[in-house]
Amino acid sequence: MAIAKTLSREADLRPPEMRFRIGRPWPALLLVPALAAIAAVSVYPVILGLWLSLRDTTLASRTDAFVGLENYQQLCSDSQFWNAWIHTMEFTSASTVLETLIGLVIALILAQRFLGRGLVRAAMLVPWAIPTVVTSKMFGWLFDGQNGVVNYLLRSVGLLHGNVNWYGSPDLALWTIVIADVWKTTPFMALLLLAGLQTIPYSLSEAALIDGASSWQRFWCVKLPLLAPTLLIAAMFRALDAFRIFDLVYVITGGGPADSTEVLSTLTYKILFSALLFGYGSALSTAMFITEIFIALGFGIFILRKFKEAAQ
Amino acid sequence: MTHADSCVPCVDYFRRKTMSKKLTHDAGKPEGTGMRRRDFIVASGAAAATVAAGALNLPTRLYAQSGRTEITFASARFFSTDTMQQVIESYNKSQNSVHVSYIELPPPSSSTEVHQQLVQQLARKSGSPDVFTQDIIWIAEFAEAGWALPLDHYFGADEMKAYLPGIVQGCTWKGQLTAMPWFIDCGKLYYRTDILEKLGAGVPETWDQLIETAQKGMGGDVRFGFIWQAKQAEILTCDLVSFIGSNGGAILGPDGKSVRIAEPEAKAAVQLMYDTIHKDKITPSDVLTWDEEPSRRPFTAGQSVFLRNWSYVWSIAQDKTQSDVVGKVEVAPLPHFAGKQSAACLGGYQYGVNASTKNKDAAIDFLRWLSTPATQLHFATVEGFVPTRLAVFDEPELAKTQPFIQKLKNLSLGAIPRPVTPKYPQVTLVLQSEISRALVSGDIEGALNKAKTQIEKIVAA
Repeated sequence: MAIAKTLSREADLRPPEMRFRIGRPWPALLLVPALAAIAAVSVYPVILGLWLSLRDTTLASRTDAFVGLENYQQLCSDSQFWNAWIHTMEFTSASTVLETLIGLVIALILAQRFLGRGLVRAAMLVPWAIPTVVTSKMFGWLFDGQNGVVNYLLRSVGLLHGNVNWYGSPDLALWTIVIADVWKTTPFMALLLLAGLQTIPYSLSEAALIDGASSWQRFWCVKLPLLAPTLLIAAMFRALDAFRIFDLVYVITGGGPADSTEVLSTLTYKILFSALLFGYGSALSTAMFITEIFIALGFGIFILRKFKEAAQ
Repeated sequence: MTHADSCVPCVDYFRRKTMSKKLTHDAGKPEGTGMRRRDFIVASGAAAATVAAGALNLPTRLYAQSGRTEITFASARFFSTDTMQQVIESYNKSQNSVHVSYIELPPPSSSTEVHQQLVQQLARKSGSPDVFTQDIIWIAEFAEAGWALPLDHYFGADEMKAYLPGIVQGCTWKGQLTAMPWFIDCGKLYYRTDILEKLGAGVPETWDQLIETAQKGMGGDVRFGFIWQAKQAEILTCDLVSFIGSNGGAILGPDGKSVRIAEPEAKAAVQLMYDTIHKDKITPSDVLTWDEEPSRRPFTAGQSVFLRNWSYVWSIAQDKTQSDVVGKVEVAPLPHFAGKQSAACLGGYQYGVNASTKNKDAAIDFLRWLSTPATQLHFATVEGFVPTRLAVFDEPELAKTQPFIQKLKNLSLGAIPRPVTPKYPQVTLVLQSEISRALVSGDIEGALNKAKTQIEKIVAA
């Protein structure tokens, strides 16, 4: 009797949505539009892409047959693909690390109280708000080999003797694009990290201050561990986004010189939309998709671990 | 998309040049983002296009109701919608059995998108568009796919003698005429008359002469001898074709199957491209990232003796607001290797008829009208399009309005097409990548052999 009473009280305490019983159609029905939308714009294209990657569909020569894993075999031995894959990974790592570090420094500064902070916070976002094509053109001019400001400044201070052909040199071109990306996207990182910093109660820093901790110790032992989950999530967003880099490369170098800036997105675009090889291009996109899943997983494991630590 | 993709950048500039003449027509129809969105909608389907064209233009709708044969015409957006609409209207008014509606595709500078949309519509085989315009490099692809109606039956060999031979060759695939010539553009050598005069040098006919004159002419403000384009993009293939052609070589044989890119003629030509940058030092290494416009600017700023570029540079070079070399520039055919012939890379858009058109006679009638000397002359005088009919070059009206075009007759006669193959989009990607590599590394033999292997695989498939 007592047990039955407890049980019924427990049932009353459940949140309202738990009280729907299986068999009642309403909750499922209400989910249908959302599920249909996701299926139409996300699941269907992914599955179609996977399906296409197993075919040799070519729009222009009208071939379309199932070829199994042939596209993937070709992909594995395609030096163009691996070349682009390596460039994409280099770009992703370099830009994510640099943007996270510089973003953190900016966030720490902007978390301080100082005169005109609101103005600086707003101004910081300007590079991020500029359309990437404009940024690309701008950096194209800044690093122009003949009339670029960067060459001029470096020559003026005596760091360079002659002009450097930034985008024309296979060793420098990709790194010059990384610089453009860092300029553009660091504010985004700074903003995310600033939001994270603001959730850390000031009382903790204050306590450490009273215990005689130096400002470095306060940062390293108090703020950074608490910021770690935010930092990792922000870095994951950034890495996944950087992995799809297209516009900067497309506008500035077109993948050249000598494929030295060819990344997966530009290569896939060329294969899919210039050559119209839908099958092989889809295999390329799938390879990108898989790499991105691995990146997300790598970050995901770290993030989960951090959350568990925080929960303990 | 960059200009390099289309290789017909002339159009934008000629349009700008002739804009003032047309201002009265264009007034009140600003070209802005709204316009572009409308273009997109128009281009997205024939049905939509018919409705949109009707809504835009009342007379179109009136004609449409009068029981004529309805056909559609799709073209890249070379100039304002009105201009093309006016041309089509004058056809619609010239007879009373056919009515043409216009489907506008993206501008030629977005040539990848134009190509994509055309392929999508043609592959559907719905018969729309009935008539279309295509970049010369797609002709083989469309013909091989069976999308382009063979035209020999309607336009005999005698009739085709009225056109530039190079362009007729470019419109022919496997012995069949599958496209009709509209306009061409070809790569040419721009040179500074004042510098050559000072040096007492003649216009260079061979590459050795060009290198010598360029080296002598450099100094002071003139920092460069000879500028061409090597950005890893379509333009690199265009430049490559004229270098290799000027040594009697080729990328593909006439059968479209034998790959000649690793033959000695081609090797020497690519070596020359490399040497202009690294050995003779007449070309800055910046060309590795330059397409048309970045290479044009130093020349019109007076910093270079020679420039390889398309026709559009002419009007800019003569414009005081954009050029420091007004009146000091002339054009000539590109130089060649000793004992060989100059070769210019052929570009431009040509007409085609959809093989699945349901109104063949109407389509051919419209095509015939588009190809008349009068229509070509109209495009030449109003839009600055270089005609493909030989006789149009000699029209007195052209001499009056576009004297520069008349000069191009001889140049255009020597123009040669890029590799003719239905797999061109894949072939050019290989060329861009490998030639760019050769120009950076200097390993020409290695890069060309690699290009040969890859292209052989593509054209054999």
